[in-house]
Amino acid sequence: MAHFAIADETQLVEAVRAAREARAPFEIVGRGTKRAYGRATSIANTLDVSALSGILAYEHDELVITARAATPLSEIEALLNQRQQRLGFDPADWGPLFGERANAGTIGGALSANTDGPARLRFGAARDHLLGYRAVNGLGEVYKAGGRVVKNVTGFDLSKLMCGAMGTLGVLTEVTLRVYPRAPESATLIVRDVGTEDGFALLRRVWSSPFEPTGLAYIPDCAAKPFALGDCGQGAALMRVEGAAEPLKEKIAALRTLLKGRALDRVDNGEAILAQIGAGAAFLGRDGDIWRLSVPQASAASCVERANAPIWFADWAGGLLWLGLPATSATALRAIGARAGGHATLFRASAESRASVPVFQSESAAHATLTKSVKAAFDPLALFNPGRMFEGV
Amino acid sequence: MLFAPPDPDILARRGKILAGLRGILSDGVVSEPAGLAAFDGDALTAYRQAPLACVLPRTRDEVSALLRFASAEGIPVIPRGAGTSLSGGALPRADAILIGLGRMNRIVEIDLENRCVVAEPGVTNLAIGRAVEKDGFYYAPDPSSQIACTVGGNVAENSGGIHCLKYGITTNNLLGVELALPGGERVQLGGKTMQPGGLDLLGVVAGSEGLLGIVVEATLRILPKPPVTRTVMAAFRDVPCAGLCVANVIAAGIIPAAMEFMDRRCIDAVEDYCRPGYPRGAEGILLIELDGVEAEVTDAVAQIEDIARAAGAYEFRAAADEAERARLWAGRKAAFPAMGRLAPDMLCMDGTIPRGKLPEVLARMAELSERHGLGFCNVFHAGDGNLHPLIIFDVMKPGELARAEEFGAEILKLCVDVGGVLTGEHGVGVEKRDLMPLMFSDTDLAQQGRVKCAFDSASLLNPGKVFPMLSACVEQGHMHVTGGRVPYPNLPRF
Repeated sequence: MAHFAIADETQLVEAVRAAREARAPFEIVGRGTKRAYGRATSIANTLDVSALSGILAYEHDELVITARAATPLSEIEALLNQRQQRLGFDPADWGPLFGERANAGTIGGALSANTDGPARLRFGAARDHLLGYRAVNGLGEVYKAGGRVVKNVTGFDLSKLMCGAMGTLGVLTEVTLRVYPRAPESATLIVRDVGTEDGFALLRRVWSSPFEPTGLAYIPDCAAKPFALGDCGQGAALMRVEGAAEPLKEKIAALRTLLKGRALDRVDNGEAILAQIGAGAAFLGRDGDIWRLSVPQASAASCVERANAPIWFADWAGGLLWLGLPATSATALRAIGARAGGHATLFRASAESRASVPVFQSESAAHATLTKSVKAAFDPLALFNPGRMFEGV
Repeated sequence: MLFAPPDPDILARRGKILAGLRGILSDGVVSEPAGLAAFDGDALTAYRQAPLACVLPRTRDEVSALLRFASAEGIPVIPRGAGTSLSGGALPRADAILIGLGRMNRIVEIDLENRCVVAEPGVTNLAIGRAVEKDGFYYAPDPSSQIACTVGGNVAENSGGIHCLKYGITTNNLLGVELALPGGERVQLGGKTMQPGGLDLLGVVAGSEGLLGIVVEATLRILPKPPVTRTVMAAFRDVPCAGLCVANVIAAGIIPAAMEFMDRRCIDAVEDYCRPGYPRGAEGILLIELDGVEAEVTDAVAQIEDIARAAGAYEFRAAADEAERARLWAGRKAAFPAMGRLAPDMLCMDGTIPRGKLPEVLARMAELSERHGLGFCNVFHAGDGNLHPLIIFDVMKPGELARAEEFGAEILKLCVDVGGVLTGEHGVGVEKRDLMPLMFSDTDLAQQGRVKCAFDSASLLNPGKVFPMLSACVEQGHMHVTGGRVPYPNLPRF
């Protein structure tokens, strides 16, 4: 067991070449907030890349930022905030769910794990924001992909592949992201005491409305407490809209018309509540395994009913279900997910469970073969986080 | 442009290959020269080449069977939608089977509850929007060729359009595809969900220009129509001033639904062609579309007017009604055909630059035009810095095509030099293939090449496109050897 730390990209290349010589894979660690996410591996060596930190260029008038991959997300967000800008994929802070520090993750970790938060609904996922990157591949070569402009179809879009790859395709060293203007104000509205099916239907109506919601979540009674929403009855539907003062008023009025007959209250600390939703706060301070089901929105209610989890909640208008169920529910949940045209991820569980139960839903034979070939195209000797995603990947 | 000579061995087997194809498709095998002439190229009109044979499958199983056959026989395959590629993405080869997907033109499902449409690859871009407009939805990517171009081609080329400034290009509006791999197996990548389960292979398939697989079905995100849409036009006496206006709008935190630029030559051509009501005499105009709720649009229009006037706009007006709005956009969408009346031939470039560099790049392009002695005009997606200079030339005049290509290459080099890219939405194809080293090192290109090999180890899908050289898939032991020969031994290396 060895722990290596690199100071810069040059040392990283040396480390990868040494690992190549020794056929010794390593676990890539930034600030270590999500090490317990993904399939459990038995990699002896760790490579600490946290020194690859620092913002390299922020062109606020071009809506673009470039940073070293292990730059703390908090540093990037603080800088963007100064200019009224934001990361559109709304990276969520999963650290505390895994027993790690809050607000400590890196941009590279957020991209590699797809930590998309509530506003992903409006602005797209991590992959829609990564314009280009530099990385070291498994041959020990530094290469770049993509560019620094939003509209670019020059060559293969490798940036998409790196997002959510759990570090299995290489070590990111620099990332260039598009950013969005942050609306001057936001309003989070709540409909209380609404049942599951009704609640999801209501969220879908808002999702299909042109008022550009940046958060649509359903919190059932069983999960409401940590969000301090007051009395929610059977459950609460939350919806966030944004804009300058006048447009925001107009959007709120339009939502009242759209949902007429419902009592629509405004909550005070909507931004904080939505951040907690992204962070899965319903499970904070509770032991037990967590699953995430990614399903078509219209299937959310039936999936929830079939899954029958004691604690659960939903984000993305029902497209993402957080479920408090043991790892042993894998077969049942995967059947539920597959039937709906979606998939289940074992989000949090013991290392033993994450070694025995596939964390990410298995792929068809042809798909799995393709996944392995793509892994090999970046990392032929399987040096980077091998097994973190699937067996051998 | 240099092309690989056809493989004489494949040409010699043509009769047997045609028989094999007819065994798979009872109808829809085109083999006679007159029929093949209809498929001998795309909208990059400078290059023509009839394929060995053209096949027109009706089902995904037929696509798989055709690919299986081609793979077993070692024959290159060129996928084709409507043939509207501006970069030669669908340009055939004499030794290749062209698979035309136009007959697979069914909309499989309209799923309003999940806000998506599932369509076969031959459905046109416009048909997607048409299918959902009565329910208040639309499909955002809107390339100018949308009346003809197909969903499959849009995925392959990662097509953009006027409205991608706010709503993204194809990849950002694509939820899933069913992809037929070179060997004929099919995989479902993505679906109706918001997050992939494993590696985001869908992300690399979008924009892969037909090099990784053939899309046999696509799931597309549809968007609710905004309640208010307003179009404004600003006229400038000086082109760089218009560029400054664009940069300042974005810097002010406004993301319009669309922001388009046209220069004087283009304004005149379009006015002659369809009279949209552009101010003749302006050196450049911007068409800007805002959408959202009323107060949002009103705010943005007021802010943009201030910015435009500060940048030097001498005229600023909002379309009075829907008819005028439609007319203003009809002019923009007619820019290419209108220019086509002025020149025997055009080369449409497609670089993207950081928006702040617009004034500088516009000025330098005018210098280049003079140096090359070729006229050009500018019409482009200004909001995202995606330039479409149209170079005017006459292919019948000796040397003009080469000069036009040289001029174009210098424009693209300029784009890369100021921090931009070679192509914003038209794709690399054959057109910009040999310019790839301007943007990518050998190492960068080799990494992309290895991804190609992961999908297509025998390099049979759309060979000769995108990459300046086909490195054989040896590094991973994937080298495909047929009859003791490496693939494309005759391929020129650049």
